[in-house]
Amino acid sequence: MTTLTDRYVDATLRRLPGRQRADIEKELRTAIADAVDDRVEAGDEPAAAEIEVLTGLGDPARLAAGYADRPLHLIGPALYHDYARLLAVLLATVVPAAAAGVGLVRALHGAPALTLAGDALSAAFTTAVHIVCWTTLAFAALDRLPRLRPGTARPWSVDALPERPSRRARYAELATLTVVTVLFCTFVLLTPVVSTEVDVQGEPIGLLSPWLWETGVVYAFLGAGVAGLGTAFARHYARWSVPLALASALVEVAAPLTLIWLVTADRVLNPAFVAAAGWGPDTTRWIGIGLIAMSSITLLQTVTDGLAQARHR
Amino acid sequence: MLACLLVLRQENYGYALLDLLEQRGFAVDANTLYPLLRRLEKQGLLTSDWNTDEARPRKFYRTSAEGEQLAETLGRDWDALDAAFRALKGRL
Repeated sequence: MTTLTDRYVDATLRRLPGRQRADIEKELRTAIADAVDDRVEAGDEPAAAEIEVLTGLGDPARLAAGYADRPLHLIGPALYHDYARLLAVLLATVVPAAAAGVGLVRALHGAPALTLAGDALSAAFTTAVHIVCWTTLAFAALDRLPRLRPGTARPWSVDALPERPSRRARYAELATLTVVTVLFCTFVLLTPVVSTEVDVQGEPIGLLSPWLWETGVVYAFLGAGVAGLGTAFARHYARWSVPLALASALVEVAAPLTLIWLVTADRVLNPAFVAAAGWGPDTTRWIGIGLIAMSSITLLQTVTDGLAQARHR
Repeated sequence: MLACLLVLRQENYGYALLDLLEQRGFAVDANTLYPLLRRLEKQGLLTSDWNTDEARPRKFYRTSAEGEQLAETLGRDWDALDAAFRALKGRL
């Protein structure tokens, strides 16, 4: 008949490497028997004494982990920080990149917006799951096999502290942004009247679709650009606050999103201009890809900048 | 652990050691002590011998020379810490 002790010893030994088993079994059985005898001598029922002793020893899994010197955690404190940092970096860079890549390819194939968004989201999700799974596995392995560990990590020193962007550098950034915005607006507003192509009457043919002017979308787009410049100034001079950060993020996201929408709806270039310039469908498509890529990068930068600034407060 | 090394200058086995430590004011769980003995043995701080004279085979542990040395170092550290605490309490 198997006793509780037998079952307890089996449960412990099962989790131990083979060469340790015989020795530990002998010792553990003796220790349990000694303890039970002690209690019986003190007047306990043998069965009750056995239960009490085994309860005192606790979960066999825990005892076996102690014998095998096995960690009871997945990633210990020595590696946890590196793990968390690497995971954050990977998730923040690879996931958006994968989503953008898939979205771009789908857009090129002319997928409808809903399919595009769904595919991009599912690609992001799959990528995130893969990153988390493999990174965790790798670090858990490192934690268990110290031989694999590449030397001790570089000790932390004050040099590793993040640099505060100097006010001057930020001012230069602001000035550049202003110049670029003004030049861009001027260029867009001048395209209907200044062009390399002219029609039969000698009138210039605008580079951008006249639809933009008819519906006023071009003014909304430029307005978003100028508002973005405004919020950049506000961020420079006013203190950081949640409403301001949200407003500026919204405004800065508006322009690239509008541009992506215009490209996918094929409303950017003037078909008459394309025909007059003799551009093939490839040229217009690549222009579209370029614009979408540019917008995606801007979006990504807005989000990461916003998060970084929020964390610094 | 220090208590273990000190007590085991006199050869002893697992269960008796548990009792002895408790009598001396070191309450320690069986499921902590048994693995600890193995670990110390693996690190060369304890030596062990199976004694099969009695009805039950017992593994007797004894502090090794290396263990003795470590016990001395740890004991000194402990004394220093104790002295520091005393000084701190005395001043308040």
